[in-house]
Amino acid sequence: MTAKKENAKRLVIYLLIVFAFMLLFILCAKPMHDSNTANNVICMIYSFSPALASLITRVVTKEGFRDMKLHLHVAGNIRYYLLAFILPLICLSAMFLLPVIISGHADWLGGFTFSNVLSNALLLFALSAVQSIGLLGEELGWRGYMNQNMEPLAGTPGTCLIGGIVWGLWHLPMDIGGYLNGNGTLSEALGMTLGRLVMLTCFGAFLMWLTKKTDSVFPAVIAHFMYNESQGAVAELLNQGNIPEDASLPLWTDAVRYAPMLLTAVIFTVLLLHDQNKARKTA
Amino acid sequence: MTGLVYKEWKQNRWLILSMILCGFAPLLVLLLMRGEIPDASDAALRIVGMIAGFLAAGALQMLVLRGDDRKLWGYWITATADGCKGFLRVKYEMIFAMTVLLLFTLQCADRGYCAAAADMGMTEVGEISGIAVLLCFLQILLRAIDIPFVYRFGSRRGSLVKMICMIVLVIILLALLILNADRLDTVIDTCNKVFSVQNSSLILSVGLVGCLALYYLSYRITCRLYLKGVEQYDR
Repeated sequence: MTAKKENAKRLVIYLLIVFAFMLLFILCAKPMHDSNTANNVICMIYSFSPALASLITRVVTKEGFRDMKLHLHVAGNIRYYLLAFILPLICLSAMFLLPVIISGHADWLGGFTFSNVLSNALLLFALSAVQSIGLLGEELGWRGYMNQNMEPLAGTPGTCLIGGIVWGLWHLPMDIGGYLNGNGTLSEALGMTLGRLVMLTCFGAFLMWLTKKTDSVFPAVIAHFMYNESQGAVAELLNQGNIPEDASLPLWTDAVRYAPMLLTAVIFTVLLLHDQNKARKTA
Repeated sequence: MTGLVYKEWKQNRWLILSMILCGFAPLLVLLLMRGEIPDASDAALRIVGMIAGFLAAGALQMLVLRGDDRKLWGYWITATADGCKGFLRVKYEMIFAMTVLLLFTLQCADRGYCAAAADMGMTEVGEISGIAVLLCFLQILLRAIDIPFVYRFGSRRGSLVKMICMIVLVIILLALLILNADRLDTVIDTCNKVFSVQNSSLILSVGLVGCLALYYLSYRITCRLYLKGVEQYDR
């Protein structure tokens, strides 16, 4: 069997397992709605499903566990670890704050004092070191396995795009969970799904670049943690400001909201292609 | 480096996996003590269990350093390609990973208990994970202090020297306190101003990052002291 066929086989098995978990999650919607314990256990298993799928695929295809990218590789890669911490924080802050500033409501940002911003950034930095480990369940699957097998088949930009879409679709049960339980409208749920799909596809390029540069999934784990937690931290600081009850931003600011992440995706896809060309020339 | 990771895993896998057991300590204490102390609240018992879990985990973390204080091993590992720095880095990373594993298990168990309690209609049960995070950083700080002593003086003498150092430090602090007894009010006022409600989150976050920085500093100090310590092993 050729290397490409082997990669395709591994990828198909992996994706089938991941989406089997997804189907299971959707089928368990009723018991999850009825019981907190069931919800807790199933969510925990689901959050580790990409890692479980990669492990099962490795066993089924007998490819072994060598290239799981579980080494920290901190020495010589400190700058990538720092970038994993800083970039999501900057991107997410820009995503929340740019629309507010551009639409002329800078007076809403009263909570963003130097002391508040510094304490939140330091807190996130400290917590990312000890609490990000739960995200290993996702990164071990997406960056540590799927991207590796997808890249020879779809190329680097294709992997960023398809991989990002797959990653976004995996979150679908959570996005539509509220609607299925009777909270919110279908358009709201679909809007959330589409927004997440765009954001994760863009952010996936950065995570893929980090993983390839360091040959480790841990910088991606930290960046993923920062992506998740920065949103909460920035939203909390926004809430401390004097935002009126009936505040709303013009519709065009939505385009500005996605601009930082789109820019990140373009930059890191170009960097990935540049590294690929460099590797080809030296080979 | 892979070889060192493999060696540590083969030698200490049960100690590493025991962190998971320590993570369930709050639930074990709750199960065992609920009948004994009926007046105590759930949260109080779980916090006691959590502290017990952290203490047990701390003792187990120190056990992974056991057996490395041999002269022959010290010289041999220094002569390898990874050197003593690589060896110590893996040790520090492993102990850090053990703390992270403990915290992860504690939080999962706590969340599970709260979910089960909510299903049983116990609405007053709240998560205690916030305290676990603080204890986790405290544990990192304690390991940052412990490890250099172990490698500089060996595991037995190391703990003795550390205890003497701590006693001396406490005596100095007490002496300073007694000598400045007349200025105690000014000191308390300054402390109240610094640790005010407005500053508390900044101080907390600086403290947490400080713990991580001290852990790294501890690694650098241990690298420097290691060969001096090796000279004294097996005496």
